[in-house]
Amino acid sequence: MRTDGVHGHEAVAGALPEETVRGPAPEAPGHDEEFGQERFLRPFAVTAGDPDTPAVLGPEPSGIDMLSLVVAARVPGRHEWLRPERETILGHALRARTVVELAAEVHLPVGQVRGIVAAMIADGSLQRCGPSRPLARQDILHAVLVGLRSL
Amino acid sequence: MASADSETRPQEAIPQAVKIIIAGGFGAGKTTLVASVSEITPLSTEEVMTEASYGVDDIGGVEHKTTTTVALDFGRITINDDVVLYLFGTPGQDRFWFMWDELAEGALGAVVLADTRRLDTCFHAVDFFERRGVPFVVAVNRFEGSTVYREEEVRQALDVSADVPIILADARERGSCKEVLVELVTHVIRGRDPVMSG
Ligand SMILES: Nc1nc2c(ncn2[C@@H]2O[C@H](COP(=O)(O)OP(=O)(O)OP(=O)(O)O)[C@@H](O)[C@H]2O)c(=O)[nH]1
Ligand SMILES: [Mg+2]
Repeated sequence: MRTDGVHGHEAVAGALPEETVRGPAPEAPGHDEEFGQERFLRPFAVTAGDPDTPAVLGPEPSGIDMLSLVVAARVPGRHEWLRPERETILGHALRARTVVELAAEVHLPVGQVRGIVAAMIADGSLQRCGPSRPLARQDILHAVLVGLRSL
Repeated sequence: MASADSETRPQEAIPQAVKIIIAGGFGAGKTTLVASVSEITPLSTEEVMTEASYGVDDIGGVEHKTTTTVALDFGRITINDDVVLYLFGTPGQDRFWFMWDELAEGALGAVVLADTRRLDTCFHAVDFFERRGVPFVVAVNRFEGSTVYREEEVRQALDVSADVPIILADARERGSCKEVLVELVTHVIRGRDPVMSG
């Protein structure tokens, strides 16, 4: 198993080896006038059940995104019984899992699970993992095409 | 004492996780499409958000913020040992744009579901993907009793360029959804490598 270092944007979004196809992506500012007067912000403090772990805002701070893969690096249940959601996450991560799948499995918001996952990587409970056989984006696209055709 | 460290566990191939976004207006059939092709019952998770209004000071305004949750559903298609494809239905409301930003990041491409009862509800999606440079196709989801549009009319109404495929679809039919996704990936490959794809 290859363990990824976390280096900002390189490591996010399924760790795709290249940039998005058609050139640079403009950043969020500028969307506001497009999308009306209301603004929705990611929460800083909504961390139900795990007050020590702030929810993570966007992919930046931890490099963890919805499709980041993690796997348990220790046996669940022996530590941290004060934080049951961590043990639950660990139990679900005995096989490599994406953050978004973990969120669905433990019924917690993705942003919150991302925060917990980042903390659990930091304390050595979870391990970030990259694909065993990383492919170039073009090879991924061709594989996906073949796979979809044979559905 | 036994250890479940990853070193001691049998090596398991870990696939690359990639995604395609299914966007469109409220009720356009996004969840239905994801369900039609997903190998798992679509999972749902939510994102919690804090609503703030303009001009509210970041610190002083905290008490006035309200929390909203937005459901995010996704399905999965195992392509092979190396690649797993996730399909994400976007939240129906455009104002959750930051969520779109995250979804768009690194996506292979997007399907914009156009609802013929109200074509205008997918304008934002078209706009967003054009700006972000995310390749997309438009799938025209026909609802009973709604106006039947020709491809050219849809293209004009949405103001998308001639190279963006527009496909008639029925999100309830697996075969139709599969065609839409194949069309999308073909379009993406063509855009990147015009020679290799005939
Ligand atoms: N006639 C017809 N009905 C459809 C089609 N796709 C979806 N529907 C129906 O339209 C309704 C809404 O579909 P959803 O898949 O929930 O739409 P959605 O885009 O996920 O909606 P939101 O998440 O609320 O924005 C459901 O009752 C579907 O059965 C279609 O292709 N044709
Ligand atoms: Mg839906």
